[in-house]
Amino acid sequence: MKPTRLLVILLITILAFGAVSCAKEADSAATFDPTVPYTVTIGAYGDLEKAYSAVFASADFKAKFPNVTIQFQTSDFGGHHNRLTTVLAANEQANDIEALEVGFIAQFVETGGLTDLNAAPFNAKKVSGDIVKFAMANATTTKDNLIAMPVDIAPAVLFYREDLARNAGANLDNLASWDEYIEVMKKLADPANGVYAIEHPAAVQAIPLNGGKGGWMDNGKPLEPKAKFLDALKLVQKVKAANVDGDLGAWSGPWSQAYLDGKVATIVNGAWFGGTLRTWLSPEPGKWRVAYLPGKMMASLGGTYLSIPATTPEDRKLVAWEIIKYLTTSSNAQLITFREIDAFPALTSVYKDPVMDEDVAFYGGQKVRKIFADVALNIPENKVTEYDNVILSIWNGSVTAVVNGTSTPEEAYDEALTKVKATIF
Amino acid sequence: MKQLRRSKINWAPYIFISPFFVLFCVFGIYPILYSITTSFFDWKLIGTSAPKFVGLGNYINVLTIDPFFWKALLNTVVLLIFGSLLQHFIAIPLAILINSHAIKRKEFFKTTFFLPYITSTVSVVIIFGMLFDTNYGLVNWIISLFSDGENIRWMQEASGIKIVLSIILNWKFIGWNMVIYLAGLQAIPYELYEAAMIDGASTFRKHISITLPQLLPIIFFGVALSIIGGMQVFEEPFILTGGYDNLGGAENSGLTAAYYLMFTAFKAYRLGKGSAIAWLLFLVIIILNGINRKVTQKLQG
Repeated sequence: MKPTRLLVILLITILAFGAVSCAKEADSAATFDPTVPYTVTIGAYGDLEKAYSAVFASADFKAKFPNVTIQFQTSDFGGHHNRLTTVLAANEQANDIEALEVGFIAQFVETGGLTDLNAAPFNAKKVSGDIVKFAMANATTTKDNLIAMPVDIAPAVLFYREDLARNAGANLDNLASWDEYIEVMKKLADPANGVYAIEHPAAVQAIPLNGGKGGWMDNGKPLEPKAKFLDALKLVQKVKAANVDGDLGAWSGPWSQAYLDGKVATIVNGAWFGGTLRTWLSPEPGKWRVAYLPGKMMASLGGTYLSIPATTPEDRKLVAWEIIKYLTTSSNAQLITFREIDAFPALTSVYKDPVMDEDVAFYGGQKVRKIFADVALNIPENKVTEYDNVILSIWNGSVTAVVNGTSTPEEAYDEALTKVKATIF
Repeated sequence: MKQLRRSKINWAPYIFISPFFVLFCVFGIYPILYSITTSFFDWKLIGTSAPKFVGLGNYINVLTIDPFFWKALLNTVVLLIFGSLLQHFIAIPLAILINSHAIKRKEFFKTTFFLPYITSTVSVVIIFGMLFDTNYGLVNWIISLFSDGENIRWMQEASGIKIVLSIILNWKFIGWNMVIYLAGLQAIPYELYEAAMIDGASTFRKHISITLPQLLPIIFFGVALSIIGGMQVFEEPFILTGGYDNLGGAENSGLTAAYYLMFTAFKAYRLGKGSAIAWLLFLVIIILNGINRKVTQKLQG
């Protein structure tokens, strides 16, 4: 053999060997190794730890992830998001997985700080086909980066007290419009006995605005389309004028006491509020029912996402992704989370599970989960922006002005728009 | 020769006092200088975009087009007057009363009046929120005993918010100011009062002619502290009006300068603008304390 040919063969062999080992390295870097023990940290808020702990204690999870130990860092809602914002701003390492409420996700969507889960090796698109579209859209940037996976959503419905409705001869199922709802509320309100039809006029304003979760800007223009926002303020004005509310500030002591005393007849809120009623505000089963929102309006009032901070080391991102994938795309995890804390699944394939068709004793045997699922499947997409929280704060001031009668809806809208423009631009 | 001289320096005292200076530089001087720098940048707290130098842009924005700054500053001054300064008119007579021989068990009264100052602000504000609740509040219940009118919506109306905040601030800090004045009163020589007594001065005359002039340096100190604290009031309005989501409640009535500063920096995540507000607030505090000093000097003759 000529020396040149020998050299060529040797070179090809070396290159081939190198290519194979490189491929192996790349492969090993891109794959979660089930034989290596991992400890994954999760930053959570509220009762998420309770739900996810139940998931991680399940036989299915243990069989799939025998090598993974989970540690939680749980705080209250505000504290958790403040910590996360500060840590990411300082470019410091956060937990491997960080939970985000939908109201906060907007801040991170276009500004970075979280790992793109659509990119390799995560390739979220391959596994997210069954997750509700609007929730995926909320977490997707204009460059098609996915910064977090939706784990639960909050389809908005109308909760009402069956006993109070029956006594008042009011029918809250299939309300055709908000005006009809107001008329029904007039029947429900019983000032002599301290019964309010609704907690506060401002409680309805967020519903036509998708619960304040996105949709605050239209093509870069805040509070557009104007009619949508004006209608929300006019609705507040009408509810206030009906004089059926308890003037109760949400989550205040008097607010919770009014529910405990059975003095509030209806509330519009996300599916998760059922858990609050069941475990705290009104534990006695059979009192409450669920109906579609007036005019069968479809809206979302909350939701949780799971993200991987960009500062998480690359090797830990892989195992973090496996855990996120399990929590968001496995029926087992989604159903356990729903059962534990009433957080409605973001995974639509779960909606076909027999559990969704079950009678729910707390709602007097009503099949409420079918309503939740129907709403979930029809919630429209609303674009979130980093300015949402600021606009919401300013908007709340305008709503208060309408409630107090210091501004008409038109004046309140104009004032909010002026303030928003001066603040964010 | 030089080396020898150097070796004679006794380093021990410097080393012993160095922890304070090191910590002061790291946690005091450095953040202050850093915030001056930050105020000249358009700096978003979240995201990966680099801070952009805007010169005095943040200051101009705050002073000219910002829709909340002047409102917040006005609210703060109103609360400063009714919540922080007027209380000195209560704290001084209270201190005189407790300092008098007629009052027994002085320690009990001193402790009682001082307790609100050391009580958790969060708890205090939550409890005051309950007391002033429209439907279930004790205050409205008491008012209803004497009047048949509608319940007062203390926390929903702009003026109601300011009244409740002023009451909270007075309740919390009167005891604190009283203790300061008590210390000042005890430093006034008793001979002055004895001489006045010989001259036949009434008690009221004694306090006007002796106590107040003698107390002027302490009043200056107390008012200066009130101005500094009052201009930075944050926790009380923040908790009472529902935090960042409500920006001070009805008509932004509870929005103070510090509250808006925090909102800008940690809710709107505009760190540069937040720093500019902080420095403007600092300037206002300096000006107000300058006025306080001038007035005190004039009164002292």
